[in-house]
Amino acid sequence: MSGETAHIEPPLAGGVQTLGSITEKISSIAERKAPRLWYLAFGAAFSLLLVLIGSIGYLVFEGVGIWGLNNPVGWGWAIINFVWWVGIGHAGTLISAILFLLRQRWRTSINRFAEAMTLFAVCCALIFPAIHVGRIWVVYWMFPIPNQMAMWPNFRSPLLWDVFAVSTYFTASLLFWFTGLIPDLATFRDRAEARIKKIIFGVLALGWRGGNRQWKHYELAYLLLAGISTPLVLSVHSVVSTDFAVSILPGWHTTIFPPYFVAGAIFSGFAMVVTLTTIARKIFGLQDIITINHMEKMNKVMLLTGMMVGYAYSMEFFIAWYSGNIYEQFAFINRAFGQYAWAYWIMISCNVFVPQLFWFKKLRRSIPVMFTASILINIGMWFERFVIVVSSLAQDFLPANWDYYSPTIWDISTFVGSFGLFFTLFLLFIRFLPMISMAEVKGVLPQADVHYHEAGGERG
Amino acid sequence: MKKTFPKAVFSCYEPVSDERIRSFFAGDDKSFQPLYHFERAQVVLSLDSDFLLTEPDSAVHAAKFAEARHIENPGDHMNRLYVVESGFSVTGGMADHRLRVQSRLIGAFAAALTLELKAQGLRINLPVKFGELYGNHSFDRKWISALAADLVENINKCLIVGGPHLPRPVHELVYMMNIALGGIGETLTFSERQDTLKPSHYDSRIASLAKDGKISSLIILGGNPAYNAPIDWDFAEALKKIEHSVHVSQYLDETSRLTEWHIPQAHNLESWGDARAADGTASIIQPLIAPLFGGRGKVEVLKLLATGREERDYNVVRETWQTILGGGDFENRWRKVLHEGFLDGSASTSVTPAAVLDEISFPTDAAGITNPEIVFRPSPALYDGRFANNGWLQELPDPVTKLAWDNAALISPRTARELNLKNGEITRFEYEDHKLEIPVWILSGQADFSITLPLGYGRTSAGRVGNNVGSNTYAIRRSEAPCIATTSRIYGTGKIYIPANTQDHNSMHGRPIIREATLKKYKANPEFARELVEHPPLKSIYPDHDYSKGYQWGMVIDLNRCIGCGACTIGCQSENNVPIVGRDQVSRGREMHWLRIDRYFTGGIENPRMVHQPVACQHCENAPCESVCPVAATVHDKEGLNNMTYNRCIGTRYCSNNCPYKVRRFNFFNYTGRMSEIVKMAQNPDVTVRSRGIMEKCSFCLQRISRAKLKAKKEGRRVADGEIITACQQACPTKAIQFGNINDIESEVTRWKKIDRNYELLAEFNVRPRNSYLAKISNPNPALISDKPVAG
Repeated sequence: MSGETAHIEPPLAGGVQTLGSITEKISSIAERKAPRLWYLAFGAAFSLLLVLIGSIGYLVFEGVGIWGLNNPVGWGWAIINFVWWVGIGHAGTLISAILFLLRQRWRTSINRFAEAMTLFAVCCALIFPAIHVGRIWVVYWMFPIPNQMAMWPNFRSPLLWDVFAVSTYFTASLLFWFTGLIPDLATFRDRAEARIKKIIFGVLALGWRGGNRQWKHYELAYLLLAGISTPLVLSVHSVVSTDFAVSILPGWHTTIFPPYFVAGAIFSGFAMVVTLTTIARKIFGLQDIITINHMEKMNKVMLLTGMMVGYAYSMEFFIAWYSGNIYEQFAFINRAFGQYAWAYWIMISCNVFVPQLFWFKKLRRSIPVMFTASILINIGMWFERFVIVVSSLAQDFLPANWDYYSPTIWDISTFVGSFGLFFTLFLLFIRFLPMISMAEVKGVLPQADVHYHEAGGERG
Repeated sequence: MKKTFPKAVFSCYEPVSDERIRSFFAGDDKSFQPLYHFERAQVVLSLDSDFLLTEPDSAVHAAKFAEARHIENPGDHMNRLYVVESGFSVTGGMADHRLRVQSRLIGAFAAALTLELKAQGLRINLPVKFGELYGNHSFDRKWISALAADLVENINKCLIVGGPHLPRPVHELVYMMNIALGGIGETLTFSERQDTLKPSHYDSRIASLAKDGKISSLIILGGNPAYNAPIDWDFAEALKKIEHSVHVSQYLDETSRLTEWHIPQAHNLESWGDARAADGTASIIQPLIAPLFGGRGKVEVLKLLATGREERDYNVVRETWQTILGGGDFENRWRKVLHEGFLDGSASTSVTPAAVLDEISFPTDAAGITNPEIVFRPSPALYDGRFANNGWLQELPDPVTKLAWDNAALISPRTARELNLKNGEITRFEYEDHKLEIPVWILSGQADFSITLPLGYGRTSAGRVGNNVGSNTYAIRRSEAPCIATTSRIYGTGKIYIPANTQDHNSMHGRPIIREATLKKYKANPEFARELVEHPPLKSIYPDHDYSKGYQWGMVIDLNRCIGCGACTIGCQSENNVPIVGRDQVSRGREMHWLRIDRYFTGGIENPRMVHQPVACQHCENAPCESVCPVAATVHDKEGLNNMTYNRCIGTRYCSNNCPYKVRRFNFFNYTGRMSEIVKMAQNPDVTVRSRGIMEKCSFCLQRISRAKLKAKKEGRRVADGEIITACQQACPTKAIQFGNINDIESEVTRWKKIDRNYELLAEFNVRPRNSYLAKISNPNPALISDKPVAG
């Protein structure tokens, strides 16, 4: 990338970077002593993780009755949190895989970061369906494990599809992430001084030497994994949406759900990446590698996907009216004006109105604006799931069943605690692993161009 | 007893007494039990009487009433019910026309009606000045004249019933009208009661004698006067002046704690005894089990007191029956009575007591904002408080308010507005030094400025379940006004306490849930119920189940017969080991009832109509719960049942979310984990006791189906129609529930399903429920039909 394109596309790394400076800058983060701030952050995150562990412990001991669930609202915060975390887990693989296939090379500086975020978000997500069941100790019955009781799962149930979709997604994302890490792990191994580090990184680097054949195989494997991951990005949230869409509940039973959920997932995933990168690039001084151009591109994606979910919101209303089904119509009017109207309007404000700020270039490139907006969008996307899950369940077919759902302290502590898990894993990641893909960033530096040394030469 | 203790005073106190409906006749020494024959009455008028639920013999009344209301074809006749009442009762909910009138004005209403009946040509001798006093009233004249016309038109086939809490003169007038309308001997007969002791609200002799120090020993047989005696008797204080006191009681209750001795009394199911039904039929009470806690039967205690001899209750009862059955062949006749449960032909002969009309005078001034009236009514579940320690009954939602585990002062929306009270606001009622704090509950259909205070709550020594549940309304109940009273002051305290209730929304939102029509509309279009919903063709992508062989179970519930009492809920709870979860869980919406009764109001906010619908698992053919369960814990069986496999359930609750009827119940906690041994003994051994984390729901009493099938198989035949009776069906006093094999075209349930009023709830979602409903039919008076359904 040079010559003409350079006029259109600003450079993907700022400052004066050499191949060596990239290695030095990124490796040193993991090699030098962690800043005080890291310890503070880790302490806070780990405390929250203990809150999560405590909350789950009490849940297992006492039962899901400690949550605010009731009849008719059989699913509450746990499922909301699950969908929300899975949604967040979308941007990572999307950035990595789809943008890789589309040759969007601006992804290189944020993909590692985003992939890690995906994995940790999916970890958080996976907790919730596992613990929300009544009998946690037999949750493995969801898996098709041959057994002497001749019991077999019911493949008609979307919850089972979920089990496969999310675990497949997690496995593929993990492999994709790990494959991408191999050259960088080798770099770490080569730079390691302590024997223990040499051994660990040596094992993890899988004998990488950076030879031509290795690169050839590596790039093919990476391409294949990207190809495998891409449909998964679309499928996992489509399948999650079928948890709702396959039911007969007004407000859930909607064919628009799969694309709408995928758009929402990408939307919230990018919002989370923006939140995290704005912090990380500040703390670790990575402004030159994750540039404002990268941030702007992510904001554009949020503007687009935000409008897609806005379209979905309005289309749901149209269909409810057009269907002529009184239950459907009530469900949607009730969302906007019923007992959960406050949640609905938080959702609309955060998800539809806030992204409109990004029409303006100045706002799109303002770190404080995008940081605030990304957090608001994450809040809005949480409320989207709240509105879907709770408002539909609380007031369905027979008014005699209607009830109001409110969370208990344990709902809140479990959700807040899940951030503890997320940030603990994330902080460990940025402390011990290369948080930016060195090998790939080098690939987009001008020096990597084979014609770099021929001034003004075309790219090969 | 009187012979043994010549100086003893005998008194019978009953906190909820029906003495006034049987002892207003000539000759005060006798009392006559009215027997209502609702099955013969075309037109029924209830004057503040909840004859279908909270009054004596209500189950019999409900059964007979439902018979007269039953229709199967558009050509059938059904009765018409007018209800004039202050509170909203289950009976009021069944009314074709309901008029809200304060209880204190019921007498004036009855007088106005009498005058109207007379004006319409009925011969009634009324005191002079009657017309002057009661002719100029503010009741709806059109309503009264239409009612009178209807009564006159159905002469000999109508019945007027007065609530037992109404003052004696009202009953005299009601009796006069029943005589004039030719109901005596037709719709109303009397049996003579041979009570040695008449129960009474009023007999305050014990308390006053005790206060004067004239009682040295007191034996209290049953009852709980320390809790439920009028507040001005100050029974607890009176008891202190008595040297020796004994309480023979099933429970160590408020009274037992104050008496010197407590004798544990055996329960009726643990002891022998005998009793007479309302019509005088004699029966023997037989124990089901030896006394669990060494209690003594009431008969044994009485025998000991009277003779000084200790005798087993069995022998005492046999001794009595030897005189009843006569000497010859006693053993065989005794066994026959034991087998049948009652002595055939022992009913009293019907008598016609002479009417008297005292100097009657009724209040004609309505209670207003400054002096709202207070009406004490027994709780539909706890009655006078005696059942307060029964968790089933505490948790049974009130059929009208849907409150459970709490009572509340029931007030109309307008009363709340004018008294400036919010729903759930703890309100203070004061009368002299007596005070009561109780939350108010705004109930549409309540008469304005008439406040209903349910009795039976606020026990302090009922037991583990019943202590400190609700507010004790006896705290302001006085002997001179035990039923209809006033207070000196009512004001809100500003504190809000929302009682646990099982239904937050009272309107059907225009949805075709409980489908109803007037008799006229039904005759014009018998298929109206099914035509209320339009839907596309119902097709499923899954193949149908094959039921060509064997059985296929189904149920029909006739909404026209259902009065909404909740007996089915309790029947189901006891049969199926449904746990009690307590106030906190109920207020969180986690009650476990497999069969619930939905109650909706239709019409205006102030004065609506009330409709009920029992809803249990509908056993859908295309069950939405079955397809979404990831572990196949809820599955369809070969006989069409939707079964729960408790052991397989992991508790995702998806089935419940996807159930359009929301009849599935989840064990949020281990509700059954800490059962005492005695409660364990009460569990049905044929039904699994469920533990934490799993879903449960109505099984159509699968255990009963299996038992019948096994029996039939052993006898080499098929299960006969009517052989399987579900617990709800068995408990229903009005026979509103029909269950059986719908493969059998001859079966009763199939016949019901063919009735044109048959519809399936939410059938438009192609769930194909096996449970269906027969639409409700009302029979309003054509003369009043142009009006709003009810004028208030």
